[in-house]
Amino acid sequence: MFSFVRRRMYTSALPLIIVLLGVFLLARLTGDPTNLYLPESATPDQRAEFAAANGFNDPLITQLIDYFKGIVHLDFGTSLRTGESAADMALRAFPATLQLAITTMLLAIVGAVVIGCWAAYRPNSLADRFSSLLSMTAASIPDFWFAITGVWLFAVLLGWLPTSGTDGGMLSWILPIATLMIRPLGVLTQVVRGAMVSALSAPYVRLARSKGAGDVRVVTHHALRNAAAPALTVAGDLAVGLINGAVVVEAIFGWPGIGKLMIDAILQRDFAVLQAAVLLTAVSIFLLNIFIDACYALLDARVREPARV
Amino acid sequence: MSTQIDLVPVKPTTAIVGEAENATAKRRDRSVWLRLLLNDRVAAAAAVVLGLVFLTAVFGPMLVGNLATSIDLDNSNQAPFTLAHGWANVLGTDPLGRSMLARLIVASRTTLSVAVPAVVISAVVGSLIGMWAGYYRGWRETLAMRVADVIMSFPSLLLAVVVLYVFSPSAANIVAVLAITRIPVYLRTARAESAELASRVFVDAARTFGASSTSIITRHVFPVVLPTLLTVATLDFCYVMLAESSLSFLGIGIQPPDISWGLMVSQGRTYLHTAWWLSFFPGLAIVITTVSATVLAAWARIATDPGQRWRLTVPQKRLSRFTKTTKAL
Amino acid sequence: MSHLPPPMFRVLAMALSAVCATATGCTVANSGHGGYDPDTLRIVLSQEPPTLEPCESSLTSTGIVTRSNITEPLAERDSTTGELLPLLATRWEQTSPTEWTFTLRDGVTFSNGAPFSSKDAAFSIDRAVNSDLNCNVDGYVFGDEVLKLRTPDARTVVVGTAEPDPILPLRISFVEMVPVTTSTTEKVREPIGTGPYAIEKWDYGQKLTLARNPTYWGPAPAFAKAEYKWRSEGSVRAAMLTNDEVDIAVGLGPEDGAGALGVPFQNNETTALRITGTEAPLNDMRVRQAINYSVNRTGIVKALFRGLGEPAAQLIPDGVVGYNPDLQLWPHDPDKARQLVDEARADGVPVDRQIRLIGRNSQFPGVTETVEVIQSELADAGLNVKIEMMDTAAQLQYQLQPFPANAGPFIALIQHGNQAGDAAFSVDQYMRTDGAQSAFGTTDFDKQIEAAGKLTGEERQKAYAQIFADEPHKVLQFAYIAHMRGILGKSARVDYTPNPATGDEMLLAAMTPASSDRTDQS
Repeated sequence: MFSFVRRRMYTSALPLIIVLLGVFLLARLTGDPTNLYLPESATPDQRAEFAAANGFNDPLITQLIDYFKGIVHLDFGTSLRTGESAADMALRAFPATLQLAITTMLLAIVGAVVIGCWAAYRPNSLADRFSSLLSMTAASIPDFWFAITGVWLFAVLLGWLPTSGTDGGMLSWILPIATLMIRPLGVLTQVVRGAMVSALSAPYVRLARSKGAGDVRVVTHHALRNAAAPALTVAGDLAVGLINGAVVVEAIFGWPGIGKLMIDAILQRDFAVLQAAVLLTAVSIFLLNIFIDACYALLDARVREPARV
Repeated sequence: MSTQIDLVPVKPTTAIVGEAENATAKRRDRSVWLRLLLNDRVAAAAAVVLGLVFLTAVFGPMLVGNLATSIDLDNSNQAPFTLAHGWANVLGTDPLGRSMLARLIVASRTTLSVAVPAVVISAVVGSLIGMWAGYYRGWRETLAMRVADVIMSFPSLLLAVVVLYVFSPSAANIVAVLAITRIPVYLRTARAESAELASRVFVDAARTFGASSTSIITRHVFPVVLPTLLTVATLDFCYVMLAESSLSFLGIGIQPPDISWGLMVSQGRTYLHTAWWLSFFPGLAIVITTVSATVLAAWARIATDPGQRWRLTVPQKRLSRFTKTTKAL
Repeated sequence: MSHLPPPMFRVLAMALSAVCATATGCTVANSGHGGYDPDTLRIVLSQEPPTLEPCESSLTSTGIVTRSNITEPLAERDSTTGELLPLLATRWEQTSPTEWTFTLRDGVTFSNGAPFSSKDAAFSIDRAVNSDLNCNVDGYVFGDEVLKLRTPDARTVVVGTAEPDPILPLRISFVEMVPVTTSTTEKVREPIGTGPYAIEKWDYGQKLTLARNPTYWGPAPAFAKAEYKWRSEGSVRAAMLTNDEVDIAVGLGPEDGAGALGVPFQNNETTALRITGTEAPLNDMRVRQAINYSVNRTGIVKALFRGLGEPAAQLIPDGVVGYNPDLQLWPHDPDKARQLVDEARADGVPVDRQIRLIGRNSQFPGVTETVEVIQSELADAGLNVKIEMMDTAAQLQYQLQPFPANAGPFIALIQHGNQAGDAAFSVDQYMRTDGAQSAFGTTDFDKQIEAAGKLTGEERQKAYAQIFADEPHKVLQFAYIAHMRGILGKSARVDYTPNPATGDEMLLAAMTPASSDRTDQS
């Protein structure tokens, strides 16, 4: 197992570098930040000074080398906008998003497994069709619309929840997580149900039944393991989407997360912060993928064996 | 214990049956699929709805003419469900006085012309690479997975902003961005299933018979992987439509004066309290389209899976008479 | 049959406990909730101030917190009367054509205890205007000028300019005073000042808290603390207000749902189309006139701004020195517009060349709709106009000189807020040939502008009013749209009347708890 994980970590190093390179280049392609950070009537001299101070005039290669040198020394640059260290800003914002993402995914996975298994247990029954309809609708609702309507309904009209922010205690988590969760829950329920229906019609299930295994054991111990593979892929993809920026939720609810930081950095052409934020999310996504691959290996012994071509 | 269901014949699909059937075979094929569809009434309804949406997208804008763009500031934000302002405004008007109905119709074309190509491109590219990688394992698999990792950890927002500002903001560029960022899903799904299948006995058997890897992939791996891919693709279709609306929320999606359902929902969000119909109807259109697509995909999943197809060979009502219970176990 | 819990259930149990652990051990969410401190003023802004550096205070997102709350200038402009009132300086006079002498107030200390003297004043002005910090105030208020500063004694500061500047005190009112210990090599994120409040705590990303400054020289403000939060969605800010989570909500739109708690006020902003008259077909006066005839100002204000605005005939609103009360609105005449375009076409002007109409996303509520209406009206007149909505950074490239090369003919939708109360600031930026936000001009007009800048009093008012009257005939760079009104959300427990400066400078000291003695009720 550990050699498997170790191997994966080595092979992830090069893609990480490619991602950093890509972000570096793309960020600079978005344009010149000078107008945003200099006073309106800045003279060409002042502009040249600003560009030189930030290295914008150097050839791309020099800027790139400086950047990677900085990373090696753990110096990720300073924000053009606030003057703070870019690493500080990214590290401060990341846990906020992480908490949202982990809680949302756990709740979505648990919910999807329970509802999906239950629906697959009785395919084409009224309950199954109803839960299918609900999960399909849930997967189709625009998230910001749901968030704003939720704020209006639950906070303003009914007064049950705080509108936004992080200082309402547990209650202030409900709306953001609900907004983040509906789509993953809807999607995962569909996938689990579909995969379970296939798994439950396999011959080994009949064999298990004929051997006297109870329904619950068959569903969980036998069928769910085989249905887990596609569900795991989709769950991983959804989790990445959450980490990469629950931007909408963070923007609406004033959650100081890394998605909001990244979009602000993009709009403000704050290259250092953008690069630091992307580095952080890229590393965590690579770790997440390694974790998912380890789960595959755990669930399915066939995947663990090396290739026979 | 066998029931009458097990005696229902299923058309054989292997090459062993070698009749020269051609024309009659094709007609029988199509009527078989139609029958399979009609037997599941919900899926049939979904297919009709989806067909209507596609027809609207293709022919609608021509019929609507310039109702969608004629600005009439005196008729701004009129409520729906009344014919007082003309039949065209039965779904209300937007802040510029343009007919909601007309705008919905014109927007359907933009939305579908972004969503469908994005899904198709990413599905085809992703699954091809995924199946290839999963079948061969080894360095091919590692390479493909790392490429997927690179794409997945790329902030799709950054890509969208850059594409929008470096090249001109257009539907085509949005399609490209969405397609590229969605490839990893298909890649990983296809690879996972393909890897699992590659170690199965029937693949070994085919190889022993001298079948080349390509033919194994197309004739054995692909049909098994297809149902899952179809499910993922339709769910992805839904995601792409929503992603497009999130891009509009951030101001970097389809640009005015083009409209899409996502842009309409986003623009309508500031009027949620006073003109709820501005966000509601395009949102409803998105939900209806994606739910129909998902229902149809669920049907297709069963219909293309030879082990499950029996569920569709008789109408649902009669089915319950043949099976003792509706439980899967 | 085996009764051991299947591995799946074990995994589920672990997952559930992980959820609980994450939720309760949250470091992000403070659990201090339930009720609020009535002595704290709660405010929600539309974005977090990137910095509170006083020399950037002409940036709205910084100034709204800093100006006259944490730091103070020598003089303060009363936005309703237009008068310059003494603040940290008690008197000022022009002691020579190029020099102004300011007499400073006694007994003022900074919030760190250090006394305020002329050295601090000279240092602050030097730091803001003459240094290499690239302060926003420098560009906005002073242009390229270098000021000469002298401190003859601890209570006097003499400011010298190269050319006689009759409105120097007004310009100086933009420079916030900081102690001499402030860094001159870096901008300071959390400054020390002399104002009624000082920074207590700044939770970056979440909340900014100011507390009453005990060493303040003036009367203590009513609220002991002020808490700033930020939300980018207007409807969420309005919801916080109606839900009694904040007392003041900034930057609301008419549809955000604040209802009766929204107070409309004239916010000094004017929207206009700025036409780049250096490229065909926009270099033809008839085409620019056609643009002015096509724009339906009254319709836009009524339908898109929901009445929150007044159709405009000049770049500055009433209350600013130089406002011309006699100017008439350009009439809305689509037929005349079409006729002018046809005439131009007949003369060989390439009116079919594509013109870019550039707007900035979220500049004001309804900006996208406004751009769409304008594009449709211009297209009706016969012009070929394409909409390009951009984000701030991209749009600024077309708003500020130098414009991108090969930009082609374009029209920029701009919103100009004259914070200073004198037309010079607007005219210098937007109408001189070399103005930072001007697309073109004529040398004659430049001379007229320069001459006006040297005058004072009634003559100054007349000269600038004449400039606004002459501009449509001599240059015609603009098609004005409307003088805008903003909405400030205010809860019932706070007494505050927003004034035209509220958007740039929100005085906390002017906010008081709603009067609790109801002597007019039995």
